[in-house]
Parts: sequence; structure tokens; C-alpha cells
Amino acid sequence: MSSISQIPVQVLTANDGLTGQAEAVLTEIAEMLSRFLETGKGDSIDLRSLPLSPADKIWLDEQLGRGEVEIGIDAGGRSVVTETAYAGVWKIEHRDTEERIVAELIEVTAMPEIVQPHKTDIEKSYNTLQSSLKQIS
Amino acid sequence: MDKGETLLEHMERQGMSRRTFLKYCASLASLMALPPSAAAAMAEALGKARRPSVIWLPFQECTGCTESITRSHSPSVEGLIFDMISLDYQETLMAAAGFQAEEALQNAMKENYGKYVLIIDGSVSTGMDGAYSCIGGRSNLDSLQEAAKGAAAIIALGTCASFGGIPKANPNPTGAVPVSDIIKDKPIINISGCPPIPVVITGVIAHYLTFGTVPELDKHGRPKAFYGETIHDRCYRRPFYDQGKFAKTFDDEGARNGWCLFELGCKGPITYNACATSKWNDGTSFPIQSGHGCIGCSEPDFWDAGGFYKALSTPANPLKYVAAAAVAGAAAGVAVSFANRARKQKAKSEHETATTSDLEK
Repeated sequence: MSSISQIPVQVLTANDGLTGQAEAVLTEIAEMLSRFLETGKGDSIDLRSLPLSPADKIWLDEQLGRGEVEIGIDAGGRSVVTETAYAGVWKIEHRDTEERIVAELIEVTAMPEIVQPHKTDIEKSYNTLQSSLKQIS
Repeated sequence: MDKGETLLEHMERQGMSRRTFLKYCASLASLMALPPSAAAAMAEALGKARRPSVIWLPFQECTGCTESITRSHSPSVEGLIFDMISLDYQETLMAAAGFQAEEALQNAMKENYGKYVLIIDGSVSTGMDGAYSCIGGRSNLDSLQEAAKGAAAIIALGTCASFGGIPKANPNPTGAVPVSDIIKDKPIINISGCPPIPVVITGVIAHYLTFGTVPELDKHGRPKAFYGETIHDRCYRRPFYDQGKFAKTFDDEGARNGWCLFELGCKGPITYNACATSKWNDGTSFPIQSGHGCIGCSEPDFWDAGGFYKALSTPANPLKYVAAAAVAGAAAGVAVSFANRARKQKAKSEHETATTSDLEK
């Protein structure tokens, strides 16, 4: 080989590497939405447990699109909860303190559990607020 | 941490919120192949758990297992969980040395008799009564037998402790054996891999804390949650296998398109581990994603199982052919050798792509 320009470089198209698995995930999400409408019971998919190729993940993201809501959570690292273009379908990405992704979930529900405060925490905050008020008065 | 304090109380005292804990449980549930809905239940149980005493003894090993764990955790939440076990003895990590260290070991064993978790990395040398591997004048064999007596459970960390690993590979000069060959009366959890995936260790400890029991194990004593499926079953290249699309060399069209590496010797179909989902280097990638087949490092005797670049469906023991050539006569062996050499020379002079069979010669 005489020059670097002779090295055959091939640019892959966006569809190279699609395995067909992402389409199955989309069908599963539609099923989960249907169940949620009927029973009110939410469900979730762990994206990291599925054999999705990088191209599959991009395809799935494109298909789900983005909705109006994005929630940032700062708890032991950043978490982003994003509503997809389909109301009731959320994408959740958890990162640790070093910005590594530790979980990627699709959750079908009205409001993801991680966003809602726990009852014990609400009780604690009520007590704290009461004692703050006592100190002020 | 106070002795009576639960994990959640300790975390809250350190300024960590319930959401952080829930988030950790979500990642753990993902790793343990539990449904995402299990995270809340795990958080509930794990939050009430109290830390166990852990004694960690290194035997015939390369410290790769310790490297794997210490480099991948700190200061993540897994690291924090790890802090919350009482790691009472670990020669590589502890500050104490010599008599002080040995005293710490004896004290930990005495104070927590019957309750501590014993972690072993490295195989156990049995040759010459264990004289090939000694620490503080005592053989590993002797230390293991003593420490195992008071252990509630034993974690054999890495392929060496689980199955013998490199030290046990032919011709096994030190008489290396796995922990399970020596200890027969205690529950043993094998966390194989060379090295094992760090978060699997945390996962096993978390399981022990969550449920108070040893996790369900496979026929090789490995926790099914992490070793329940083959690399092949969880591999993102699996659909290409099903479609019959295989890379034939490491730089052909198929390799560029990310097709299955089965024909290049990938041992994914017979290897049980969580690499394809938990991945390595902070979740960046795993060997197959980086373009190389799995070498099967979490399986028993993988060093003696034939060439890493031999496809599984083809004969995997080149030594057989050498033996066959010897039986057929020296002439046949010489002819094969010359033919191989000529092919290699030809490829070299023409700058041809090296194939997997070239790598085997």
C-alpha cells in the first residue's frame, strides 16, 4: 500500500447495524400503554438488559421523539427524566457522580416514581418546617 | 457507621437522599436482571440491612481481581455500599502489615465467628503441602482451612478461586485447585471471570444484605442473576448470528458492519457472564463491542480449552493434530509445518490480511 488515500474508507448509513430489536421494543411500549389505559398500572423496560445495537438505540430515540417535559434530578449524580413525544411514555437516564450511565429505563406511567417524594420524607419536611416556624415566631 | 445502624440511616446521615438510594437500587436491579419494578422492593429491604464483617484473603493470584474492584467503584454509590461492609482484613488495601495485620485477622475471625463473609481470590496451591504459596509463614491451604471454619459464606472471587484459573492450567506445577475442592461444608459463591465484573461482587453482597441468603447458583456455583445467560444471548450482535451474517476476518466488510464474531472464535455461546449488559470501563464497552470475540474467561479451564481464535464448531485442540502427525510419521508433520510457513511468508510478502488461522500458527 503506497499512500494513506488508498485505505478504503466506507461511511456507514444510519440504517447499518439495525437488528430489528428496536422495533420489538416499540411494540412492547404500545402494549404497555394499552395496559396502563385499561388498568392504570404502570410498567417499565430496562434498556440496558436488551441486546440493542448502538444503531438500534438511535433509531428508538428517534421514533420516541421528545415531549414537553424534562425533569433534572440531582441525587448521587445527575438523572434526567424526559417525556417522549408519546404522553405517558418517559425515558429515564440515571448517572452516577462521575457521569457514568448506571441505568436507562423506559417507564410507562403518569409520573415516574423517582420524581415523586416518599411519604416519610414529606412527613419529615412538615416537622422541619413546623420547627422553623416556631423559631421565627 | 454505628453497629446497629441500617444502610439507609447511614446514607441519610451522610446527606444522601432516598432518591439516591432508589436510583442505586434501580441500577442494581438492572444488573441482577430483575424487573425494574423490583427496585422499590430492593430499596425497602436493603435500607433495613446491617453491614456484615468481611475477611478477604488473597492466594495464588495476580491482584487483577482487586484492581478490577478498586478502580471501578470509588466514589460511586457502589463504593459507598462497599464501605458499609466492614472490610476487616484485605492485605492489599489495609494499612497494617506484618504482626499487626495478622492480629487484625485473628481478631476479626474471633469477634465475628460464624457470621463473617470470607472472600478468597486466587487458587489454592496443594503441591508440597501448599508450600508454593505462603503468607506470613503459613500456607494458603492452612489459612483457608482456618478462616473457613468461622465463615457464614465464602465468595470465591475470580476464575482462579472459582475454578483454578491460570495456576491450574496445564501442567499445573503447583497443584493449584479451586476453593470448592478444599472446603466442602460451607456455602461457596463462585464469582468467576478474569477479572470478574466489579459490580457483580457488589451485587452478590447486596443480595446477601437484601435477602439474608446466598443467591441462587448455577451448576458451577455462580449466581444465576449474573451468570444465568450466555454472553451470546445478551449480545447485541446476536441477531446477526440468527441471520447468518458473520465477520470472516477482523477487518472485512462483515467486521465493519458489526456482524457476529462466531467464526472468528468468539466463545460467547458457551460463556456465562454479564459483560454484554454491565460492560467494562465504566460501562463503555465489552470485548465483542470493541471488535474481538469473547475468550470465555468465566468458564472452567478456559486456558486449556483450545485456541481463542478457533470457531466453536471447528475442532478446538490443535495439539491433537500435532499428535496425529507424529503418529502418521515425521514426514507428514514436516510437510504441514512447511506448508504453513510458506503460506505465512506469502501473506507477509503480499501484505495480505492476517486471518485467524494465521494467528493460531
